[in-house]
Amino acid sequence: MIILQYLFYILIFPGALFTIAAGLLLAGIDRKVIAHMQKRIGPPVAQPVYDFFKLLGKETIIPATANRAAYLIAPVVSFVSLCIVMLFIPILGFRAIGGAADMIVILYLITIPGAALIVGGAASGSPFAGIGISREMVTMMAYELPLVIILLTVAKKVGGDMLIFDLGIVSAYQAQAGSLITEWSMIPAAVAMLLVIPAEIGTQPFDVAEAENEICEGPLVEYSGSPLALFKLSINMKMIIMTGLFTALFFGGIRTGFVITDLIVFVLISTAVMLVCITTTHAITARLKIEHLFKFYWTVVAGLALVSAVLVWIGL
Amino acid sequence: MIKKMINKSASKSPWLFHINTGSCNGCDIEIVACLTPRYDAERFGFKLAGSPRHADILVVSGPITVQSRDRLIRTIEQTPDPKCVVSVGSCPKSGNVFKGSYGIDGPLDKYVHVDVSVAGCTPKPEAIMEGLYKAAQILEKKREAMSK
Ligand code: SF4
Repeated sequence: MIILQYLFYILIFPGALFTIAAGLLLAGIDRKVIAHMQKRIGPPVAQPVYDFFKLLGKETIIPATANRAAYLIAPVVSFVSLCIVMLFIPILGFRAIGGAADMIVILYLITIPGAALIVGGAASGSPFAGIGISREMVTMMAYELPLVIILLTVAKKVGGDMLIFDLGIVSAYQAQAGSLITEWSMIPAAVAMLLVIPAEIGTQPFDVAEAENEICEGPLVEYSGSPLALFKLSINMKMIIMTGLFTALFFGGIRTGFVITDLIVFVLISTAVMLVCITTTHAITARLKIEHLFKFYWTVVAGLALVSAVLVWIGL
Repeated sequence: MIKKMINKSASKSPWLFHINTGSCNGCDIEIVACLTPRYDAERFGFKLAGSPRHADILVVSGPITVQSRDRLIRTIEQTPDPKCVVSVGSCPKSGNVFKGSYGIDGPLDKYVHVDVSVAGCTPKPEAIMEGLYKAAQILEKKREAMSK
């Protein structure tokens, strides 16, 4: 019985199937809203679904210079790790798997897709991918530091005297004391998190690693067919995971009583977060240079997160 | 069912890769005009891809200069199946005003089967859009033939 339950968690809800469906939905809404912001009609909301299935039907070309095994395994690793992350994120009241330190597990798991992209790009042996990889590495270093500080701040705020890395307790604390977004000392951290999300997903202005009109989509340049479909799907899944993490950290106090309504509210809040931090920034900005990106994250974003951390540490 | 979905999606998400083989830039501007808010090719799912490996439709403009000939052939070969080739403008079709020049080695259908050819110097964005839309339908047929 318990095995069946875990299989259900991993394969259907909140694992693979839910993450895919929600990710594709968010990506579709994102493209539609950007189009409307630019006074276009825009693609149908189901467009990411069509893109995914079309890529599945394309021929998969493996370059002669590529390392075959690493080239084909990297997208699968990226996809699987993202299916697992979603299990740890509490959907308001509902939580599939929990542990004493699931924040740290999440922190590790969400770097795996980036690492897989680096491995896959390196295995393809293209010079464009080489440039993309180095940029992806710098981007990862840039957003990792603020993200760690944000998680530490949340852990301290919830734990009081000690650090609590358990998202279940974070969620329960917020249900009792109100969502963390309502605490003024947490607002800088929330803003920093909003700025971390687009870099993690790699949308404009932080898409330096995949700059398509400059280095031909960087690490993805040689990919075609189903491996490319998996990578593109991973990017869409990251959307629901990162915005979902934001919801769990800062809006975790909302309770409706039923899993179904909790789920709907969760997806709605995640969509709103996405519209603020991904869609709007994408529509109004142009791409940054990599050194500007790095400087921006280690000064402005890390600074915002630090302000929150200091405020929380002195007990506000 | 998945197979049916894949076949159906082939015409709904065609990604373009634009190859300029010595065009005078007139056609290129009109292709870009198709993607602007006024014509908005993205409503049919068209998207400019960064790499020929991601592309479904190759949009060729220009009269195929001797310099660009080998690059053109290599780019077409790098594109995964199913793919379509669309020629934009009179240049790839006939050589246009450049016909007979020592620097030209056209027309395009000497090298590859051209699925849709949009004539005009330059063709209107509406005509290019129609050509691309037809290419997307051909793409679906090609995909169906592939899955058999
Ligand atoms: S068809 Fe006319 S506009 Fe187009 S590339 Fe040739 S000469 Fe230029």
